[in-house]
Amino acid sequence: MAIASKSANYRKVKNSLAKWIITLGGISVLFTLVLIFMYLLYVIKPIFESAKVDVTAKFVINEEYKVLATGVDELKEVAYSITEQGNINFYQLVDGAGYKAGDKILSKQLTADGESIKQLVNIGQEQKLLLDSAGNVQLVVPSFTANFDSGERVIIPSLRYPLGEEYLPIDENNAALTKLSFAMDDEKAVFVGFTDDNRLIKTTLLAEDDFSYDIAYEAQYEEIDYAAKQINDILVSPDLAMVFVRQGDQVAVFSLDDDEVELKATIIPQLAQNKSTPNHITAMALLSGGSSVLLGDDKGSVSQWFEVATEQGREFKEIRRFNVSDHEPVVAIYTEQFRKSFYTETPSGEMGMFYTTSEADLWRGKLHQGNAQAFAIAPRADGLVMFTNNELAIFSVENEHPEVTWQALWEEVWYEGYPEPEFIWQSTSGSDDFEAKFSLVPISFGTIKAASYAMMFAVPIALTAAIYTAYFMTPGMRRKVKPTIEMMEALPTVILGFLAGLWLAPIIEIYLPAICLLLIFIPSSVFITAFAWHKLPREYKTLIPETWAPIILIPAILVAAYASFALSPVLELHLFGGDVRQFITNDLGIDFDQRNALVVGIAMGFAVIPTIFSMAEDAIFSVPKHLTSGSLALGATQWQTLIKVVLLTASPGIFSAVMMGLGRAVGETMIVLMATGNTPILDWSIFQGMRTLAANIAVEMPESEVGSSHYRILFLAAFVLFVFTFVVNTLAEFVRQRLREKYSSL
Amino acid sequence: MISVTPKNLSVPLSQQRVKLDLNNLSPEQVALEIKNLDLYYGDKQALQNISMSIPKGQVTAFIGPSGCGKSTLLRCINRMNDLVDICKITGQINLNGENIYDRHTDVAALRRKVGMVFQRPNPFPKSIYENVVYGLRITGENNRRVLDEAAENALRSAALWNEVKDRLHESALGLSGGQQQRLVIARAIAIEPEVLLLDEPTSALDPISTLTIEELINDLKKQFTVVIVTHNMQQAARVSDQTAFMYMGDLIEYSDTNTLFTTPMKKKTEDYITGRYG
Repeated sequence: MAIASKSANYRKVKNSLAKWIITLGGISVLFTLVLIFMYLLYVIKPIFESAKVDVTAKFVINEEYKVLATGVDELKEVAYSITEQGNINFYQLVDGAGYKAGDKILSKQLTADGESIKQLVNIGQEQKLLLDSAGNVQLVVPSFTANFDSGERVIIPSLRYPLGEEYLPIDENNAALTKLSFAMDDEKAVFVGFTDDNRLIKTTLLAEDDFSYDIAYEAQYEEIDYAAKQINDILVSPDLAMVFVRQGDQVAVFSLDDDEVELKATIIPQLAQNKSTPNHITAMALLSGGSSVLLGDDKGSVSQWFEVATEQGREFKEIRRFNVSDHEPVVAIYTEQFRKSFYTETPSGEMGMFYTTSEADLWRGKLHQGNAQAFAIAPRADGLVMFTNNELAIFSVENEHPEVTWQALWEEVWYEGYPEPEFIWQSTSGSDDFEAKFSLVPISFGTIKAASYAMMFAVPIALTAAIYTAYFMTPGMRRKVKPTIEMMEALPTVILGFLAGLWLAPIIEIYLPAICLLLIFIPSSVFITAFAWHKLPREYKTLIPETWAPIILIPAILVAAYASFALSPVLELHLFGGDVRQFITNDLGIDFDQRNALVVGIAMGFAVIPTIFSMAEDAIFSVPKHLTSGSLALGATQWQTLIKVVLLTASPGIFSAVMMGLGRAVGETMIVLMATGNTPILDWSIFQGMRTLAANIAVEMPESEVGSSHYRILFLAAFVLFVFTFVVNTLAEFVRQRLREKYSSL
Repeated sequence: MISVTPKNLSVPLSQQRVKLDLNNLSPEQVALEIKNLDLYYGDKQALQNISMSIPKGQVTAFIGPSGCGKSTLLRCINRMNDLVDICKITGQINLNGENIYDRHTDVAALRRKVGMVFQRPNPFPKSIYENVVYGLRITGENNRRVLDEAAENALRSAALWNEVKDRLHESALGLSGGQQQRLVIARAIAIEPEVLLLDEPTSALDPISTLTIEELINDLKKQFTVVIVTHNMQQAARVSDQTAFMYMGDLIEYSDTNTLFTTPMKKKTEDYITGRYG
């Protein structure tokens, strides 16, 4: 009895141990899945958060004179003000370097004694153009350097004068200027101004060498042919290509190309919707990059305009409109330097933050009672600085991913320079002015396209092979054929990928007619051979053991393939004028990519065939023999039995096989990466490439900056892929269960 | 629940039989004539020189121990053995005077004349109705009225109509085992075969379902020639008019059921029916 109880105990321990290990295994698998899911969501989440603006510090500072401009260093440690009397004062914003927060650390006079600044023009976020009452200008750039001499970081402010410390006359006739704008690059500085004797003038300073080394130049004066009594705003685009001159509700656009000033368009905004009185423009600003102009009006809306190619040539169009305020005019628009964000201000001090590409309404709020005297965006766009009557206020801005909205990802977006709204994925470019295009539509489409072509190729072959192997083949042959096909699954897809990309794609390109002929010749050669075999007298048939009869198809297929390739040049010469590729491109007008959907369909189809074949074959083979016998005993032929009983009973299994194949095709990476050309286009054409979600992640993840919008959008692409496969599999399982309920047999 | 009417039980089935001289049947009385039939599975001979005549409109039972070849012989009659690749057959089986092993025989047409019911109920995963009309549909019959009528007749003949008439379009897999077997019989008789082969039709069923099927067999012989394989001697005694005893691929004894069970001619038969082996 003792032995019995001991072994019983042992069994009990083993039993519970096994139970725990299995439970643990199961739970950890689920846990890992949930963890992956959670991590993806965790990385994605910030891109859908709205912006936040918080006060970080406020200092009581009573400037003697009106503040015309302000600014802050990159780290938001030192801010400055430029007053009407020509003073620039730098203030420490944090304790350190022997100063307390709020201390004035440097003050300089920017004008001659007694002279005040008549007008200050903010150019970008750094350059300040000072205009005196005589019409002379000085360009000042407050700059900051970090110094570590004392052992800690000290920000030392200084001033740079890119065009020299002297005030420069802008007008040849020395008239005073009422409006002025400016832009410069290394070789050229262009001023466009309006004089008090109503002339629109352009002054160009041509560097003798390069402004960054040596401030020596030659001045060219020019008068622009434009009649106006008064000008409201002038803006010169940073690339020195265009000048926008606003006179009341009209904006004249001049092109500056080739040093010829030429009127190219006039923007006349239409009535805002549902409003009977016309909108009056109250503010104008250039969006980062300088190709879009933003117009704020008295009805509280801001419209974005840029040049698009139309049938009538290039013209400025209203692209989108933001409703900034319901009842107040827009008095000021401030744009960020590197992103397409802008801030708006109304007379009551209501402010808003918007992003053009994504049409995001990021934030609205009131930072101060009444209006700011001066307002500036921090260089990294992570803060704001504002001078009011007696206060200097610093705000922190959390707005990492304004370019991502549902709309920007999944809807057509009108990008700068494009003729119409489109779905485009173009995440990076060589230029800083570039507007990132993050539409997931083309790459999701690419995934579906690649999978569809692969399935078109794989499903008929895999299923017919499965039916033949399971239902018609002799057991001996089946034992050899099935493992052989299943072994194909073990082929690394990278091998299939580079074979497809480097070997198959050029062959298909060169022998396109042959490939098309193959599609006809191979099936027909199989049918003809089978028919001939069927008609062959019995004594010849016995030469090959009956089980190996299908082997005669091999020479038949080889002959068909050889015939296709041999006929290809003849066909090409007589039907397609010698070159099919040129015929397709020139005569049919179809674009042809060497790495196209046909190549991908074949290569990925090849990878998917074993999956579908193996599962479908099992499903068909496991249809109970007594069902087939039952059908045959009722006088059904093999075909009738196959179609009406076998396939019906095996349908849940066949369906899952196809869905598993689809799941594999959707998630497949290496083949599509190497054989698609990775062009994110929306085109079903079989001769065009595509870019899939999986390949997109593989291509771009290594070069995306961690934590950037691009990085997070790639995670979102991964999440979408996850959802894709999840939906496919769930749907497959659901349908399979339904089919199984209906057709499951004993 | 299947009702068993006492009326049928009161008269022993054996007393309803008509005695025939099996060696001297007139051609009109013969449904099937098996002549010198040999069957090989590969090198192994499974049937040896079987010759017998199966009379029309009667129930003929094949009995014998497991592996004696009784099912194999049955499957020869509708050429189900063709599906076994290594199976080779010599000799003839004549149905209406025509050899079914002739080169020109249309096997599918043959099987429509010789229906078969298997050991395990094998309804298709379709509705009850679709199961019954399957044999008609594959011949291209799609006329709804014809199909409806055939289905009702077949189900009535298989004594299943009253049980399923309200759920004809539900899955056949929802029926009980006995019902499924009767459904399969209905399916077989819907195409109006001449001969109905039953391969141990009750071996997977409970006793009450078995009884119902046996009743049914007795009714079916009015319309069809029935050949039944059974390992249950009592069943053979109950339902059959003729019984053939087979042993090791040989036809040992073939006579009317009463004679075979009461006064067998051969020692082997006697040993088997008295339970000395089997």
